[in-house]
This record gives sequence, structure tokens and C-alpha cells, in this order.
Amino acid sequence: MATETAVDVVMPQMGVSVSEGTVTKWLKREGEQIEADEPLLEISTDKVDTEVPSPASGTVVQILVQEGETVDVGTKLAQIGGSAGTAPAPAPAPEPEAAPTPTPVAEAPAPAPAAAPEPVAEPSGNGKFVSPVVARIASEHGIDPNQIPGTGRGGRVTKQDILAFVESGPAPAAPQAPAAAEAPKAPPAPTAPAPAPQTGEQVEPVSAMRRGIAEHMRRSLDTAAHVTSAIEVDMSKIVAARAALKKEFQSAYGVNPTYLAFVARAATDTLKDYPYVNGELRGDSIVTRNYVNLGIAVELADGKGLIVPVIRNAEGLNLLGVARGIADLASRARDKKLLPDDVQGGTFTITNPGGYGTFHGTPVINQPQSAILGTYALVKRPWVVTDEDGNDAIAIKPIMNITLTYDHRLVDGAYAGRFLRDLRERLENWEGDGT
Amino acid sequence: MAVAREAEPVGSLHEVREAGLDREDLLGVYRNMVITRGVEERGHILYRQGKIPGSFYTGRGNEAAAVGVATAMGPDDVGAPLHRDMGVHITRGVQPWHIFAQYMGRQDGPTHGRDGNVHMAESSLGLIAMVSHLPAMLPVAIGAGLAFRIREEARVALAWFGEGASARGDTHEGMTFAGTRELPVVFVCDNNQWAYSTPTHLEYATEHVADRAQAYGFEGVVVDGTDVLAVYREAKRAIEKARAGGGPTLLECLTLRMEGHAVHDDAFYVPKVMFEKWAESDPIERFRTWLRANVDMTDEEEDEITTGVKKLLNDALQRAEQSPMPDPADLLHGVYASAEDLDTPHHK
Amino acid sequence: MAELTYLQAISDALRTEMRRDKRVFLIGEDVGVYGGAFKVSLGFQEEFGPWRVIDAPLAETAIIGACTGASMMGLRPVAEMQFADFVSCAWDQLVTVAAKQRWRVGTPVPIVVRLPSGGGFSGGPFHSQNPESSFAHVPGLKCVCPATPEDAKGLLISAIEDPSPVLYFEHKHLYRRIKGEVPEERYTVPIGKARTHRLGKDISVITWGAMVYTADEAAQQLENDGVSVEVIDLRSVMPWDKAAVLDSVRKTSKVLVLHEDTRTGGFGAEIAATIAEEAFEELDAPVKRVAAPDTPVPFSPPLEKAFIPQVEDVVAGLRDLAGY
Repeated sequence: MATETAVDVVMPQMGVSVSEGTVTKWLKREGEQIEADEPLLEISTDKVDTEVPSPASGTVVQILVQEGETVDVGTKLAQIGGSAGTAPAPAPAPEPEAAPTPTPVAEAPAPAPAAAPEPVAEPSGNGKFVSPVVARIASEHGIDPNQIPGTGRGGRVTKQDILAFVESGPAPAAPQAPAAAEAPKAPPAPTAPAPAPQTGEQVEPVSAMRRGIAEHMRRSLDTAAHVTSAIEVDMSKIVAARAALKKEFQSAYGVNPTYLAFVARAATDTLKDYPYVNGELRGDSIVTRNYVNLGIAVELADGKGLIVPVIRNAEGLNLLGVARGIADLASRARDKKLLPDDVQGGTFTITNPGGYGTFHGTPVINQPQSAILGTYALVKRPWVVTDEDGNDAIAIKPIMNITLTYDHRLVDGAYAGRFLRDLRERLENWEGDGT
Repeated sequence: MAVAREAEPVGSLHEVREAGLDREDLLGVYRNMVITRGVEERGHILYRQGKIPGSFYTGRGNEAAAVGVATAMGPDDVGAPLHRDMGVHITRGVQPWHIFAQYMGRQDGPTHGRDGNVHMAESSLGLIAMVSHLPAMLPVAIGAGLAFRIREEARVALAWFGEGASARGDTHEGMTFAGTRELPVVFVCDNNQWAYSTPTHLEYATEHVADRAQAYGFEGVVVDGTDVLAVYREAKRAIEKARAGGGPTLLECLTLRMEGHAVHDDAFYVPKVMFEKWAESDPIERFRTWLRANVDMTDEEEDEITTGVKKLLNDALQRAEQSPMPDPADLLHGVYASAEDLDTPHHK
Repeated sequence: MAELTYLQAISDALRTEMRRDKRVFLIGEDVGVYGGAFKVSLGFQEEFGPWRVIDAPLAETAIIGACTGASMMGLRPVAEMQFADFVSCAWDQLVTVAAKQRWRVGTPVPIVVRLPSGGGFSGGPFHSQNPESSFAHVPGLKCVCPATPEDAKGLLISAIEDPSPVLYFEHKHLYRRIKGEVPEERYTVPIGKARTHRLGKDISVITWGAMVYTADEAAQQLENDGVSVEVIDLRSVMPWDKAAVLDSVRKTSKVLVLHEDTRTGGFGAEIAATIAEEAFEELDAPVKRVAAPDTPVPFSPPLEKAFIPQVEDVVAGLRDLAGY
């Protein structure tokens, strides 16, 4: 009963409630001959241990699941080739190393962020509820139901009202503008029966980007154990360094060495020593990296959303490179010119709500990352300084608050604290980085 | 204290002839038992090859009980066998390839993939398909007996149940009704001593399940379910009694379930000595020995049966594997019956 | 045409079929010598004998199981549950065996289970229920709920003819209270077809069983206010006449779904959901349900009156819709 074509050996379902099994022992090796129904391997499930007989005669061409591995029922375990034993090309490498998981926040909106045409018509009604049947009749006849006197509850236009209006009222506008006629037909969002708007409320549809953000934010809070730690950083040296570099950067390269760029640069260096902060909890595994793909949160105009483009391999960039990267991504994000790749594969994110004077916050982690750094307004504050002789004095210092919000499932509090300490030391002792 | 009659084993060939089986019949009975076991052994292999979805149940150890009772049935009698009674399907003439197709959820199984396992029956062979809720088919089989009584037909209905299901109310209601109306029904209890992992003393407090028959107003008989000829003799007696208007009998076939409840169950809770003891009275081996001693079954005859069954099952499996998977487009069909469905001999 | 009570119409249908077709038999508790708890089969045993009018032991599982088996052997059993409430004892036989057998293994189970249902006479929690929605939810079962004597006869004959298991809910409160013209000859009323009990144009009431009369009285009161109410008598709950309901909704754009069964998960929920799905753009008001509260059926008269939807409740619901 065997087998010119290859036959798959799969993990059998040893009982209705059994969903996975472990390969405990292979009784044949790749290249060996086997007869149909001859035991090929031993498996173990939560209910029973058993031998798996070969489904066909032929050569064991390929063993895909190794001893000790647990796989789902139905998973291909091995392949029995034709009886001629034509071994095919060597088994392909198990799995290419996992592609970085795309960040959903960015993913959804990136290609064409909600460029929905602005509705021309007024959002239906001046506060009066239009029933589905009235909306349909209105749209069929190109009538604005708000022009009809309503006799229903609260002055609502009833079906009888609009039918009477259609019969007796002025001839409806010729269907010159079919688009306009279609417009009011749009039914409410189908997901949940939203209550009718109250007086004074305006209603606008949820954009794809907003929906993506909403889902991602909610999912992140449902996934990660968010904890936020904050430090205060004396940015004196950065302020000085920036002043020194600003002209050169702008004249020679056309970029502004923002404080964000400095923080990004220092953070990237610090991440090398704290791989979990740049890591990921992926199923039963912890993933760390020898690279930093740095996400920079960028706000779109008018509060229309947030996008997190990524500077790839930030660990290889100097301050100029980081500053350029930030400027480039920010402008392309605002011009909606980001490519899908620009928003994927981030390993750590920096958000900068400090531009409006905010001095503290608790950002939401960009899943599946482990941490997000928040930078806040740089303010001059009275600061206690200690000189070399141990004398305290009060000085005016430019201080920036920086927060690290981290997933406590993977990153411990002390670990996060050390990360922040090192970051602060890098910023406070800034000596340039060979730009 | 036992109330039911404890049936004697079958000894002589003379006794067997009295009961209506000639040499040819006896070899046929043996062959059916070998097919029964072969189908289920094949099923085990298919299951472990991942070709049978869901779970898988067998009746190893019950071959004599099932084949013995089914051999005693008349051609127009009907019955509702259970998941340990593959021998009934085989004896009534269900083709093994249909059974394999059923196991594998293929289009050509009797349920066309809509139900699995031994949840099947070919009604043209007088079989009624079981459900999982045991012994729900017991009242149904009684209804068949009721139909025969109403129409005054000389037919008998067989109602199978297990000693575990004897605890459920359907058993009581069914036996009460059949007893009060003296319906032409034979109750067959496959007592394999384990209801999943529950032993008999937690299922009933009498010595035998068959002891209860007296309380319902009919005879109870306990028979060694590994002795196919004794099972046959007692089943025949009960069936013919019912056919003659003598009312029901409760026939309890005592066996041991030689495997787990289903394929996932290694039956660790069954004492090893129990398996060892019952393995000594393996129904097929036991009957084979009897045939060699009493009717001089030759090597050639035995070999012919073994080889023939092997080929039958190989061919059946091959055919079943060629059967297509069912088409999901048909899923909605047949929730309600149509007038054409009633176009059967029964409904004329 | 003779004027018959609802109960006489049921007897008439059963007698007609048993005379016409030897395969039909009746089985139940006290249906023989006693003629049934409600006397539907009074005199039947004398005419048809003890093997076609079978007094069963108090064993609902055995009764319905036996009907299933007998139907597989070619008979056309009619089982009487003494009260619809007791069908719960035979749930397994109906839901596990009879309902699934055709789909699962191709064996039709042409049985009828008669279910004296409904309240209004202090039957209490165990003699008053309307369990049709439980069975309507089970693929393979049909459920009919006649309201008039004419439909009672025609639907019972259809049920006996039908090749699938049919649950025939006969409302006890209608047995002797409702009379109507019933053709003497044999006829059928198709299962799955609604009937317009009252024509109207402003609001539709979708209902069945005894509630048809409650709806009709309420509609009359609304008529005096100048509101025209249509009453659709569904007659069959499964399969149900979706087309007739949607046609009425398209006409009136306002709907009240009314049933005597409890509210949550009652069959009215399915009707309301279907209207919302398939006729959303026809609605000029929310679909309204009037049904019993989610409690067992109470015994004492003031409690039972508060439980079973009354004409006033329906009138209030209709007025609310009229003013919407």
C-alpha cells in the first residue's frame, strides 16, 4: 500500500480533549527504510503514551520534529518518501529567525492614514433622531429630513411625516448629485448599537487609524504589567553641547540637534547594557537583540493620531545620524509618506510629550516591546549642587524629567532603575560622540 | 444472591446442532469474530496514523458476545448495537469498507462524515444507529418491538446497553414498559465490568444486572460473554421466546473490556491480574480451540479464514481511503426529513 | 362546517387520521380508558382498541423513545405528554435521538408529540409552561402552536403527515374557551406559514397561541384611538414564516412581538433580531417585546395575572409605539 508519492506522518489526536503531543523517541532515523504500520516513533500526551505506526512503506526522508519537542495535534512530524528512497534536497532550515513583529499601531495607518474625504453635508440633523426607515426614504428622495416638521416623540420625523411630505411637498431636487443622495444613508457603525446623540453632541466616524490605536492601546494595557519610573536629569552639558553643535548641524546638514536626539543617542547606548529593556516576552521565550530599532512617536496634525516610525539599527548611528533619522521620519510621517517598513520592527520606543511643557507622564508600551521612554519639558529649576569640597549650594540648572515605562513581567524595578541611572549619567556627563 | 439464571457453558457439538448451527455456520461465526477484531485492530492503527479524527472506541473482548447475539437474530429482527458491538454490524453484513470510511469521516461512511466512530447503522440491515447518551437507544429499540406488537408481526427487537448505563432511568423506564406490555424485546447487557473507570459495584448493588429482570416481570440470564456458543444459545432462546409472544428477556453477557474506555485511556485502574485472567479466555482463541477439537477445523480452513479476512480488510481500507472527504456544502442538507426519506420498505 | 371547540378540533384531527391511516397510533399517560387528562381522546380506545390507544406507564422517556423506534419501523406515532411541562423528562429522547437521527444517519423520525401548554388557570410552575423556544433552538425539530380550532385540526394533520418530529403545542386555555368553524373534511394547514389574524397598517403584532386573542383585544382598543394594528399569528414557531413577518414590518414599520413564554431567550428575541438584521431600514421605532417576566410561572391568581401578558400590557406597548 505504499507510496510513490511522499506521505506525511502527523501528530495523532490521542483523545478528544488532547491538543498536543510530545515526541519522545524516534525509532527510525532519516534515510532508513520502514514498512507501513511498523512503529516509527513514540509519543506522549497528557493522557497516554503510544507508538505511532508508519502510514506508509518507504524511506524516512525527513524528520521535522525532534525528540522532546511538543507540537500541536496534526503537526507534520516526518515524511515517508517513495519506496525508491529518493531523498530530496536536505531539509530546509527549520524556521527563518522570526521576523520582527510589526507594530500594529503603526501598521494600520501607515499606508494611507485615514484620508477620508470630509463629509460635505452637515452631520445629520440638528439633534433630532432620524429612524432607519425615515433615513432610507429621505435618501431615496433626496430630502433633508430636518426640513420636515415632525409629529413624533420630541418632534421626531415619523415615517408618516416624511411620506406625507413626499406626497405633498415640493418636487425633490433632481437626482443630479447621486453622491449627496447616498451620503445620509450611511448607517451607524454596525458593531454596537450606539445611543442616539444628545443635544449638543457631534458625531464623527472613527478613522481606521483611530480604531487601530484604540485597539493597540487597549491590548497593550491588557498584555503588559505597566510600571513607570522617573528620574530628573541635569541637562547642562547637553544644553551646552547642543548650543555648540546647532549651527554646524543646521548649516552643514540641515538638521536640528534636538534634545530628543541626544536622549535617543544616550538611550541607545544604555540599552546595550540592558537587553531586557530592548527585549520582548514572546510566548514562552524571552527575546533579546544585538541591535536597537528605535521607535519615535510622532503626533500627526490636529490630534488625528499617533504613529511610531522606526530608526533601524540606531546602535550604529552617531548623534548626527540619530538627529537626521528623527527629522526624516517626523517629516515623512506628517506628510503621510512613510513606507510600511518605516513603521515595523521597533524594539524600543521614545515618546516626547514634553514639547508642550508636560513634566511627567505614563505612556503606554508599544507592543510587543518591553519599555517606552518618555522625555519631558526642559525647565530651569533651582538645583542643589555639591562642589568638590562637599559644600552644597543652589544653582539654576536645566532639568529634564525622563520616565521609563516598562513591562514588569520581563523587566524588574531595580533593573529599570539602573537603566535610568546609567542613562542619566550618560546625559549628565555628555562628552560628544565623535560627530 | 443471584436471582438470574446462570447459563452453563456449551459443551457438545450435539448441543450446538440442537440450537441450529451446522459446521458451515460455525466457521462463519468464527470468521465474523476474526473480522470484528481485525476491523478494530486496523482502526487502532489508523487512529495512531492520524487518519481517524476525534476519539476511537473498540470492543476487544466482546467479539463473542456481539457475534453470538447477532447470529441468533432473524433476518427481519432489528437491533440497536453499541460501540462495543462491532460484531453485530459485521454479522448483519455491514461492509468493512463502509466502517473504515465512517471511522475516517469520509463521504462513504454510513453517516457521510456527520457522525463518527460506531455511531452508525445501516437501517436496511435492521440496525438502528446509537447516540452517545447511553442507554437512550434502549427505549427506541423497545419502540421497534412495540411496532411489531401493534402490527402483530413475528419480529423481535434487540436493545443493547452496558452495565454502566443500567444505572440510568432510560433502562428502568424501558424495561418497565416492555415488561408491562410483554413486548417482543431482548435486552442485551454488555457487562464488560468497567464503565470508563467505574467498577461494577459502583454501578449496581445486585450480584448481576440480570437479577433486576425479575423485578420487571421477565427472565434474567447471565452468560459467559467469551463463550460464543453459550451466548448464541441463550440469545436464540430469548429471541424465539419473544417471537412467540413470551415477552422480554434480559441477557447479560459477562466479559472484560480488554482495552481502555477509548484509545486515550490506558485503563491503569483495571487490576493487572484481571486482564491476565480474562486474557486466558480470549473469545476468539477460545472458539478456535473449540472448533479444532469439536468440528476438526483444519489448518487449511483456519488459514483460509485468516488470509481471507486480511485481504478483505486490506481491500476495504484501500477503498475507504479512496473515499472523498464530505463536502461542507452539504452540511445544511437533511436537518429535516423529506417525503422521499420515507420511501423505504419500513414506511410503505 | 361545524362549530367546534379548539379541543374538539384536535380530537377531530386525530380521529380523522387514525381512521384514515392504520399506522397512526396514540400513546400517553391515561389516554386510553380515561380519554386523556383533557379528554382529547375520549372514546378513542373503544373505537381503535388498546394497541392503537396505548396507556403508557408514567415514563415520558419510554413514551417518546418508543415512538421514535416505532416510527423507524414505519408507524406514525402520536405521543401525548399529559402537560407540556413534563416533556423535560424526555428531553434526551427528543433532542439527542429524534431531532438528530435524520441529519446524522439518514433515518427519518416522523413522530408527533402533543404538548398541552400554557397558563391562565393557576396551574403553577409545573403545569403552565410554554417551552417552545427551547425546542425551536434544536435543529431537526419542528414546533407548531395553533391558535384557532381550524388551525388546530389542519396543523395536527400536517404534523402527523410530516416526515420530521413535530412538537404540537396545544394551548390549554383555548381548549374549551375558543370555538370556531371547522371544516368537516380532512385538510391540512402548512407548517411554517403564518396567518394574518387582523389586518392593519400602523403597527404589527407578531404572536402565536393564546396570545393571538390578547393581541386582538388590544388591537381593538387601539382602533378606538385611530391606530390600526395588524396581528400576525405565526402558527409555526419552527420553521417560522419570516417572509410574512417582514412583509408586515415593511408595511407598518413598527413592531411589537408578543409571547406568553418568558422574555429572555424567548422566541420573540429571534424574531426581533431577524427584523433588525433584515428590515433595519424599514423601522420607524425600536422593536418592542411584550412577554412574561423571567420567573417560573406563579400559582396564585394575582401573581399569575402579573406574569402572563395581559391586554393592558399590550395596549400600553402599542400606545408607546404609536406615539414614538
